[in-house]
Amino acid sequence: MIRIAEVYKYRGHECVINGVNLVIPQGTQVGLIGPGGAGKSLLMKICAGLVRPDSGSVLIDGTEVVGIGDVEMTSVRSKIGMLFQNYALFDFMTVEENIGFPLRQLGGRTEEEIRDEVNRLLLAVDLPNTQKLFPNELSGGMKKRVTFARAVIANPPILFYDDPTAGLDPVTSGKIFALLEERRARGGTTSIVVSHDILGMRDICDSFVLMDHGRIVFSGTREQIEASTRPFVGQFWRGEADD
Amino acid sequence: MTKHTQAYVAALSPTQRRIAQLGVVFVPIVTQITDILRVGSLAFYYAFKKPIRWREVLQQSFFIGNRSLAFVMIVLGFLGMILIFQSGFQAKRIVGDLQGMGALYLQLLFREFAPTVTALMLATRVGTGIAAEIGSMVVTEQVDALRMNNAEPIQYLVVPRLLASIVMTFVLSCVALCVAFGTGMFVANTVFEVNVATFYNTSLLEWGDLIIFSLKALAYGITIPIIASQAGLAAFGGSEGVGTATTMAVVNASLAVTILDFVLSGVGYIFFFS
Repeated sequence: MIRIAEVYKYRGHECVINGVNLVIPQGTQVGLIGPGGAGKSLLMKICAGLVRPDSGSVLIDGTEVVGIGDVEMTSVRSKIGMLFQNYALFDFMTVEENIGFPLRQLGGRTEEEIRDEVNRLLLAVDLPNTQKLFPNELSGGMKKRVTFARAVIANPPILFYDDPTAGLDPVTSGKIFALLEERRARGGTTSIVVSHDILGMRDICDSFVLMDHGRIVFSGTREQIEASTRPFVGQFWRGEADD
Repeated sequence: MTKHTQAYVAALSPTQRRIAQLGVVFVPIVTQITDILRVGSLAFYYAFKKPIRWREVLQQSFFIGNRSLAFVMIVLGFLGMILIFQSGFQAKRIVGDLQGMGALYLQLLFREFAPTVTALMLATRVGTGIAAEIGSMVVTEQVDALRMNNAEPIQYLVVPRLLASIVMTFVLSCVALCVAFGTGMFVANTVFEVNVATFYNTSLLEWGDLIIFSLKALAYGITIPIIASQAGLAAFGGSEGVGTATTMAVVNASLAVTILDFVLSGVGYIFFFS
């Protein structure tokens, strides 16, 4: 379970995360939506311990993430897999080395076991025979799938997907969302999906959190968000422009 | 300055305002120096901790050493010729005797020019490379990805560059010394007709010169990658952030080399040459 309480983050004098409170129950997939600059990716990075908030608390499976040391953070991060918005593939490593990296870091497996697991995942994401390629030899969609494979290879109980379909065509976006849905269907994984692609997210998330200007303005299921009478919520969900 | 800061500053007394103005200048400098020291101390901590990525150390050695070799040789080669040409003319006019020129030149190369000019060349070539590489890894979230996989970025990225730089700065300084001496000897022989055997004179060289040469090469080899890595790790934003990081790396590394040169020359004078 992820519990975020009274989290504030300032950039200069601007409050970019403004008193966020959120509970994500075990085994659910939450869609974090909102306009650009609303603070979605930043909130996700705060949850992952990559950005330190100015105040507040973030509990990951009962462990406080804010203000803890590197050693404690190591055990928290070993529970988290993350798909980054900008791919974040190590450009000096091959596809095989990139995907196998989390397993090598965790240790306890032979090179052959890691290679087998990488090959199995590459088939699952429909990227066979790409083991020896470098990230600069891949298309955007292929990079996203490699990033996805790297995020899930260690079977982490918590997954953060930061804009998994950014910059992709609708067909490739559909493939990525199908992978996310497949992962959710397996059960047991708590995940947050940050995306602007409302249409793609509708069917793969258990609930939705709408952010604007660093605040949570709505939180609920798909039915609740569709039934909302608040103009901003309705407009954003349906993708309508302001009058 | 934001409106909030402007209002805050306007409410200060003249003395407080002067202190605040000092803070505007010194706080970023102190913050940066503190961060460089933090990166440096962590790099040394991880340099003695397994695992060391030896393959990456070798690749970085190739990048720092082999790829900088031609640049360093050309610069130091021409510098050697210019130094002997100019100093030879002056010496001929004032003293008229050029017999001791080789011995003095060799001492000068050991004490000053070979390690320091090499380091200044490396600060531009290697410093920018390291800052740009690490900076672009920061802005493309690769450094965050390392952290998420419990790989410490300083151990993973800075330590191989530090180890490679320590070795290759020393090696390049030795090469630079030989090249500058050789080109200087060529000019002395062709322009001033100084015999090669006369020019090659090690009588003024002392152990202190060798120690100062080695100390300088070691100090520069440590300083340049640490300053460049700190600049890269502090990069933010997009390509503009990477550009700022590379500029910062060259400026800071060149400044550090110059200040270290002054300090180590002083140390050499106190311990060996006074």
